Amino acid sequence: MEFLLHRYRNQTVLLAAILAQLALLAYQVKSDGEVRLIRVWAIGAVTPLARVIEAARSSTVHFFRDYFVLLDVREDNQRLKTDLDHVRMENQFLRSELSTADRARALALFQQQSQSKTIAAHVIGNTTAVSAKVVIIDRGTGSGVQKGMAVITPDGIVGKVTGAYPTASYVLLITDPSFAAGVLSQKHRVHGTLKGQGYGTVLIDYVQSEQKVEPGEWFYTSGDDRIFPKGLPVGEVSVVRPGKAYQQIFVTPSGMRNGLEEVLVVVEGVHGPIPENPPGFQPVHMQDPPPAEADAESSALPGAPSVTQVTPARSGPQATDADKMVDRYRQIGEAERRVYGQSGGGAPNFNINLPPASPVTAAPPASPSRPSPSPSAKRP
Amino acid sequence: MTDPQATFVDPAVLRKKDASKFKAATLIGVPLAAILFQVYVPRFSPFLAYLELPLLVTVYFSLMRRSPVAGVIFGACVGLAQDSLSHNPLGMFGIVKTLVGYFAASMSQRFAVQNSLVRLVLGFFFLFFHQFFYWVLSRGLLGEELTFDLERTLVVAALNAFVTVPLYHILDKLRLVD
Amino acid sequence: MPTVPNHDHLAQENRPDAARRLSQDDTRFALGRIAGFQYLTVAVFLFLLTGFWVLQVRDGETNSQLAERNRIKTVPVLAPRGKILDRDGRVIVDNQAAFSLMLARENLKDEHIDGIAAGLNLDAAEIRARIKRFASRPKYVPVLVKQDLTPADIAFVESHRDADTYPEMELVRNQQRLYPRTGLAAHTIGYVGEVSEPELNSAEFAKYSQGDIVGKAGLERQYNDLLIGIDGQRRVVVDSSGREREVLESTEATPGNSLHLTLDLDLQAVAELALEGKRGAVVALDPRTGEVLSMVSRPAFDPNAFAGHITAEYWKQLTSGNDNPMLNRAIQAQFAPGSTFKPIMALAGLETGTIEDHDTFHCPGGATFFGRYFKCWQKKGHGTVNLHHSIVQSCDVFFYNLGNKLGIDEIARYAEMAGIGKKTGIDLPGEAEGLMPSTKWKLRTQRQKWYAGETISVAIGQGAVTVTPLQLASAIGGVVSGGVWYKPHLVKTAAAAEPRRAEFRPENVASIVSGMYGVVNEGGTGAGARIEGVEFSGKTGSAQRVSNDLRKSGLLDKDQTSDNGWFIGFAPRQNPEIVVAVLLEGGEHGALAAPVARDVIKSYFDKKIRVTQQTTLQPPLALLHPPGR
Repeated sequence: MEFLLHRYRNQTVLLAAILAQLALLAYQVKSDGEVRLIRVWAIGAVTPLARVIEAARSSTVHFFRDYFVLLDVREDNQRLKTDLDHVRMENQFLRSELSTADRARALALFQQQSQSKTIAAHVIGNTTAVSAKVVIIDRGTGSGVQKGMAVITPDGIVGKVTGAYPTASYVLLITDPSFAAGVLSQKHRVHGTLKGQGYGTVLIDYVQSEQKVEPGEWFYTSGDDRIFPKGLPVGEVSVVRPGKAYQQIFVTPSGMRNGLEEVLVVVEGVHGPIPENPPGFQPVHMQDPPPAEADAESSALPGAPSVTQVTPARSGPQATDADKMVDRYRQIGEAERRVYGQSGGGAPNFNINLPPASPVTAAPPASPSRPSPSPSAKRP
Repeated sequence: MTDPQATFVDPAVLRKKDASKFKAATLIGVPLAAILFQVYVPRFSPFLAYLELPLLVTVYFSLMRRSPVAGVIFGACVGLAQDSLSHNPLGMFGIVKTLVGYFAASMSQRFAVQNSLVRLVLGFFFLFFHQFFYWVLSRGLLGEELTFDLERTLVVAALNAFVTVPLYHILDKLRLVD
Repeated sequence: MPTVPNHDHLAQENRPDAARRLSQDDTRFALGRIAGFQYLTVAVFLFLLTGFWVLQVRDGETNSQLAERNRIKTVPVLAPRGKILDRDGRVIVDNQAAFSLMLARENLKDEHIDGIAAGLNLDAAEIRARIKRFASRPKYVPVLVKQDLTPADIAFVESHRDADTYPEMELVRNQQRLYPRTGLAAHTIGYVGEVSEPELNSAEFAKYSQGDIVGKAGLERQYNDLLIGIDGQRRVVVDSSGREREVLESTEATPGNSLHLTLDLDLQAVAELALEGKRGAVVALDPRTGEVLSMVSRPAFDPNAFAGHITAEYWKQLTSGNDNPMLNRAIQAQFAPGSTFKPIMALAGLETGTIEDHDTFHCPGGATFFGRYFKCWQKKGHGTVNLHHSIVQSCDVFFYNLGNKLGIDEIARYAEMAGIGKKTGIDLPGEAEGLMPSTKWKLRTQRQKWYAGETISVAIGQGAVTVTPLQLASAIGGVVSGGVWYKPHLVKTAAAAEPRRAEFRPENVASIVSGMYGVVNEGGTGAGARIEGVEFSGKTGSAQRVSNDLRKSGLLDKDQTSDNGWFIGFAPRQNPEIVVAVLLEGGEHGALAAPVARDVIKSYFDKKIRVTQQTTLQPPLALLHPPGR
């Protein structure tokens, strides 16, 4: 046996390595368990490095961008002395610092103005995954980031946190096919659900054909999804096409318009107690529901649900012939200035000609494949 | 190997004298840099996302070390590190890179690994193998219905293959000379 | 496995010396083969491993309990219920697309439930209880958690169903019941809901299973078997982001049958509007067939609120207070019929020969029987009245005397003949019986002798006698049709069931009809219901709900003590086509109920005119003319 192991040392090691990893995979797949520790280590090891590189990169980029702009100026001013150049270089360096500070200030300003509590974070990398649109940011559970939190920029929404580790977090971008969020159009207050498509534009789903959405219109977050606070910009409608059950509305997201370097993570309850949960389980952060819109329609029935009732998402007929019939007879009553069932005025005439407001058309024989269990009535 | 009576000689031993040696720092630093590159750089030029530097580095060290055991361990480590930074279950890249490390080390015993043409072909071959096997694994083990885009894979393999030659040339400088 | 290269190795060792110079090539050859074997070995191993994986991990346990990232899910395709149509094929109850949330139990995690409940404003404990109820069913059957999702709910579900958050959430498109939003015929039609635990244990619902949507009340319940469709299902493979990748198997849903009612939306709409803001009921029947043309009970409720998940707030609103909107007053309100009982009294008197058509009684405004004074509603009295006038003027004293002569058992015999005191057998659940007292009844229920004095109250439809509006419509409709009672029904049937018949002398029936014609057309109590050109006949009624003593005690507010107003009317006078019963709870007097019946009758005859016009002329209106008629 020893001989065999020795002889086939290479294969043995290979098989052992593969078996070990298969076991690891099997554990994750079978138990839905996450090998959180390994990830925490890996991310912990990579984050500081990435953070250093990002810091170096961003300051270099800013420095050079402004420096090259100035080079042109310098060519025009050949006469200027080198010591002046030197001063200018210094100046440039300061200006680069200022530019970074500007951006930081814009972010800080937004943070201040916004009602939500946010923390700023740098995007420090993409993931190695093949197809997903996921980035890594340099803030993690240590800074109060939780799984399920919204990630935004002053320009709009960016994504949501799908994994939070001590020093970094994964952010699923709104362009990822598995991303979705509740949105609301600005002009007509049309509710919809945003879905990532895997490329630049995103789709707004569940908007019925009769609801009005125009190209150029803006969509904002509705707060319905319990991820994003209501009222954040999402993007501008680029295309509206009629679809089968719902319209096809394409929106160009605005959050990543100016690149994706600094983002804000929307936090709430930073000082909340730490729940004791099973290992590997991360509680999903959830926003409060948004306040009800005042435009909810009230029902005709006196005992009907109150205005706080939210209209369900439905498509198809909104009323049956019965409702149309009641409306029609109500109109007849109004035309004859009478209330049915009251004495006085004699019997109403139900055959007066109404202005053709809502003609009630009889329904086609229902379910043609299955004849009704009874023949038509023997009525005059 | 210590038994002089053995008539059967392990090929690894045959070529062991040709194996290159590296500093431990190189063996750790280079793959880490490769992974960082993959995580970080495509943010700014998405085109570079096609570069599979961790794989190329794995292939390089496996080829140069000429030891299947080292290749296996090296490949597994790089793969797992990559996995832990992705959203996938741990082990997918690990298994693929383990195999790549093993085969690369095995092949090194048959080819002149210093030859640029050989490196080009091997780079192409292993990248293709890597992508293909990853696809097989995600289909077979995870049941993910990824599509295998042959043309794209071939192009990506070719791109990486061309990077192989200069990259390996640079890495050659890091070898320890006896 | 390692024997093969070993053998090879031995073979190499035993080679003859002559071949030694070839040993260099030979070694190389052997090395190549050994390498080949190595790869082969690895390949075989991998192959075996893959097989092992597939069997043990991927398809382990049940086929459905798969990896998180590769799941086979069973998605139910919910069958739409049949539509409910009126007699002309117009849609009363329709379906509309809506969304439901189901939880796939295959990968359900208990710690996710709190988050899901919070996101959808549900009670986590309730969801857990619901899941527990499904414990005995196969794992692939998902649990229905919420119906009729709002756009907000959909946004929540869509944005949280990724593999990292709550992958067990399943958005199912289904057909939601769409009821008239005005509450039209709400009690008659009923509503649907998820079958409850106690219901599942009852025989009626035994064949359904947890989570099924069934009719809970009214016609939806009565004809549930007919209306309910057969759900289909799809077995699909979904990927890590929850999207369907492949359909393994698909069974289409079979929609339920449509239900054709005898209700006429024209009459129903008018009756509903006439009772708006009131408490009461209207029943209109075709006495020639027993078909119910309209059935209204007010106040009503919104069945749409029951279609999804009814809010506790709305339920409280429905069940608190005196209005009791869930009660179908047309078949469940049991009240003394008051003077509307008088036609039956008159019939009993004439048929038994107790009185003749021309017999008279004197009404001074009251009379004393068995030492107790009974008032007529007209304080100054009606003077000398015969049968005709007693009906037209609704003279109580005439009927006190008649009742006294007849005795309770003769009254009961004729009243029961007409159907008072027993269910009509209409195709609706929960019909009330009403009550017709008799000596036997009193002995049976109270073990007491019947006192003749009690008969006097019964003679004017007070005392122990109670009816439902439907019962009254059916009873009087049968009497004025000459003693033919068809069973009232709401769904058109192929052949009308054989009616109950009684042999009444036509002249007796004619006398009663004549009296009732006079009520409306000869300045009687129902004069306000007169319709030009229609021989509309009827009888008003006002019935006390509480005893005079209780009323005077001041313990009850006026709303509870005021009399009920009744009206029973029919038209035309000969061979009536329609009979209408109206109950106005607390309506004080039948004269106020009469215009309701008038408007319903009018809409019936106006519609007849329209239909005749349409069959002869080009139709002026596109409505009311269903294709194929």
